[in-house]
Amino acid sequence: MNILVCLKQTFDTEAKIELKDGEISTQGIKYIVNPYDEFAVEEALKLKEAHGGEVTVISVGPERVQEALRQALAMGADKAVLIETEQDDAYATAKLLAKAIEGMDYDLILGGQVAIDDNSSQVATRLAEELDLPQVTIVTKLDIDGDKAICTREIEGGSQIVETSLPAVITAQKGLNEPRYPSLKGIMQAKKKELKKITPEELGVEVESKVETLEVFLPPKKEAGKIIEGEAEEAARELVRLLKEEAKVV
Amino acid sequence: MTASREIYWNIHGHSLMYLLFIVALVIFGYGFYGKYKLWRIGLPEKRTDDIPTRIYNVLYHTFAHRRIFREGYPGSMHGFIFYGFVIFVIGTAVVAIQADLGLQIFHGNFYLWLSLLMDLGGLAAIIGILMAYYRRYVLKPERLDNQRDDAYSLHLLLLIVVTGFIIEGLRIAATQDPWAAWSPVGMVVGSILGGLSPETIKGIHKVFWWGHLLLAFGFIAYLPYAKLFHIITTPLNQFFSSLKPAGALQTINFEDEDLEHYGISELEHFTWKQLFDTDACTRCGRCQDNCPAYLTEKPLSPKQMTQDLKAYLASRGTAASGVSAGEGEAAEVAAAAEQQPLVGGLFSEDTIWSCTTCRSCQEQCPAMIEHIDKTIGMRRYLVLEESKFPSEVQTTFRNVENNGNPWGVGFADRAKWAEGLGVKILSEDGDVDILYWPGCAGAFDDRNKKVATAVVKVLQAAGVNFGILGTEEKCCGDSIRRIGNEYLFQMTAEENIETIKSYGIKKVVTQCPHCYNTLKNEYPEFGADFEVVHHTQFIQELIDTGKLYIEKPEALDVTYHDSCYLGRYNNEYRAPRNVLQRIGASIREMERNLEKSFCCGAGGGRMWMEETLGTRINEERTKQAVATGASTVVTNCPFCLTMIEDGLKEYEEKGIKAYDIAELVAKTL
Repeated sequence: MNILVCLKQTFDTEAKIELKDGEISTQGIKYIVNPYDEFAVEEALKLKEAHGGEVTVISVGPERVQEALRQALAMGADKAVLIETEQDDAYATAKLLAKAIEGMDYDLILGGQVAIDDNSSQVATRLAEELDLPQVTIVTKLDIDGDKAICTREIEGGSQIVETSLPAVITAQKGLNEPRYPSLKGIMQAKKKELKKITPEELGVEVESKVETLEVFLPPKKEAGKIIEGEAEEAARELVRLLKEEAKVV
Repeated sequence: MTASREIYWNIHGHSLMYLLFIVALVIFGYGFYGKYKLWRIGLPEKRTDDIPTRIYNVLYHTFAHRRIFREGYPGSMHGFIFYGFVIFVIGTAVVAIQADLGLQIFHGNFYLWLSLLMDLGGLAAIIGILMAYYRRYVLKPERLDNQRDDAYSLHLLLLIVVTGFIIEGLRIAATQDPWAAWSPVGMVVGSILGGLSPETIKGIHKVFWWGHLLLAFGFIAYLPYAKLFHIITTPLNQFFSSLKPAGALQTINFEDEDLEHYGISELEHFTWKQLFDTDACTRCGRCQDNCPAYLTEKPLSPKQMTQDLKAYLASRGTAASGVSAGEGEAAEVAAAAEQQPLVGGLFSEDTIWSCTTCRSCQEQCPAMIEHIDKTIGMRRYLVLEESKFPSEVQTTFRNVENNGNPWGVGFADRAKWAEGLGVKILSEDGDVDILYWPGCAGAFDDRNKKVATAVVKVLQAAGVNFGILGTEEKCCGDSIRRIGNEYLFQMTAEENIETIKSYGIKKVVTQCPHCYNTLKNEYPEFGADFEVVHHTQFIQELIDTGKLYIEKPEALDVTYHDSCYLGRYNNEYRAPRNVLQRIGASIREMERNLEKSFCCGAGGGRMWMEETLGTRINEERTKQAVATGASTVVTNCPFCLTMIEDGLKEYEEKGIKAYDIAELVAKTL
């Protein structure tokens, strides 16, 4: 079975977010494969090992995203496609992906359930709509049975088992698997694998971002807590006063 | 009349001896060639540079018995046998010079003193052999496994010496040798046997003479097939032993385009020297006796690994020569060995991951067998080719890749520990004499940040002009290299070296002995050209040169834990102890100290792995520290500090504290 995996390159989870001229500074930032997308890559590789076929990873973003694609290739993916653009809103990304995927031969599309940078969980869902495919999100267990997929979804307070026909779009949640670490052999082989770069123009789509960023700011710094000293009665009185006058919550 | 004796007294047809000698040499040669072919399975490796040092190593380790004598009983036992037989070889050579070369030297005072020496040598050898019997079959120390070969070897040695004395005694008795007193043992034997008729004596003498000769030649012929082969292979192994710094692992040259595999997964991936090692091993078990993994019930014994590899190699030889390994069980064992993979079969993955690279096995081994490069080679195969390792290690790799430290804290915070301490950061002010390298632990681990702060206090008190790299510093790569990720190590190392060189740094002071070892011994191969010292060495220098004044010495009662990478790897035992003495501390030594120090359990990347097998190494070491009765345990290494502090939790009621030396020094300023 042929599997497509959509992945996004994000800031490292430990990256220090700083603003410069009203935008998030990318200076000295280490980029990684979005961890949820890494689950998707791993799942695709496991399915390939079990059922055969090819795994293609596909991403939308600037040139640096090649690194993330190379990592997926080093893990064992066969081919990579990069749609090179600076656009990054979910609507545009999904449109571009859909256009690129349209002509491809696939049985399953995998992606992460969310990207850790914008936390929007939109691209895979939009992509399914664009391609008119069934979608199952937040999956922690995936079994393929012929042309069906049996997915265990994580839901509030429990789990839900869903069956879908294939092809479908399925998004990975933590717990689905433990992504492999690329072997050096894999890294060396990845250098020789095909990584196709295409532009939106080449795809023949012109999309406008639907989202406009008005302002970027950091969350306010947490102030140190206040410890109220004194006898219980007195302290309680002081606490009530502060809650009323300073915190204004009662 | 000058003192001498007739060399072939009572013997006719001694020329047969030469024929027998040739036969013995042929049998020896056949066996040796068989072994030689097996060694040649390994990869080429140059071990013949700097011949004088190599000869010195043989003199030091074989002829001076330096490592062997570290243990009293086994040391003296071996010494007695060894020096006894060395004297025999000299004596026999003298006889051969006279008898075969015709040089008349076997007379006069030289003859008399040589006779005496030979007798004393024989006596020593007998004492040694009896000690060996007693130890092997009565005391039965756990580290010795008894095989038939061990018994044969001892019997053979004993018979050679005993028959020699009998021949000598009979000759003395029959010839009424006037210089018998110079052969005291022979004289005693002679007086016992002297009652026999001269004809009987002559008859027995002939039998024993030929018997002695056959035993001696049998000994030569038997060598390559037995443990006694170590008489040849062990000195050779010492000769061929690595002259590189102890702390520098073998490097993989990734530029080599012919490189088809990484690490060791087949016999062919070992170097010839690594295979040769297995024939230098006498199964003495010193490695096993000092292995922290073995002593805490992990599935690892360095001795067993060497022996298993030897058997695996031998089974290959049997298969290659097409000769059956024997009947029944032996053949099955050999066949099984031939089929099972080296990694994951002969050596289980648990065995390979259990090593802390503490280097005690190599340090204790009198044969200078090199265990660690083999284990790391197999780890490299697992990591670089198979991507198989304890799952928690993946996080470590990723953390080093993404944030330059195994803890995985964002690299942007690397200089945070030094905020408010007035420490120069090189990117802001590069005018420094010393680069202080706190390492990942000093920068990110809360407990060890205190040590880094203490080092800063000491350096500032001594007026040292120093700085740190801050966010430009990356993990030195010690752990990841020892886990087997050579690729990631080399990338990290090259980046660090470039950064350090870009500031024109001449001298680096490290907080951690792992950083110290890696920067000092491993980075030069990748282009580093700066001096590296450990903080304890630097502090000693600051005190000695009067730059650091200890204002408030404190009479502390401490025990000092030698870290593997400062001690065994870099032979630094004195500086930390000197510093402790200068600040007023008195040291209660642990039983396992100096080169026999016991690992804390965190070396070789074990810091980043779960310890699920056997008992915990750090608890064992802490127990040893607590047993000294000292109130403070002093370390020089962030990993040791973490491990021992963790171990001390069990002894909370005793109130024992663990500190790095720098912290104690900082308190006395």
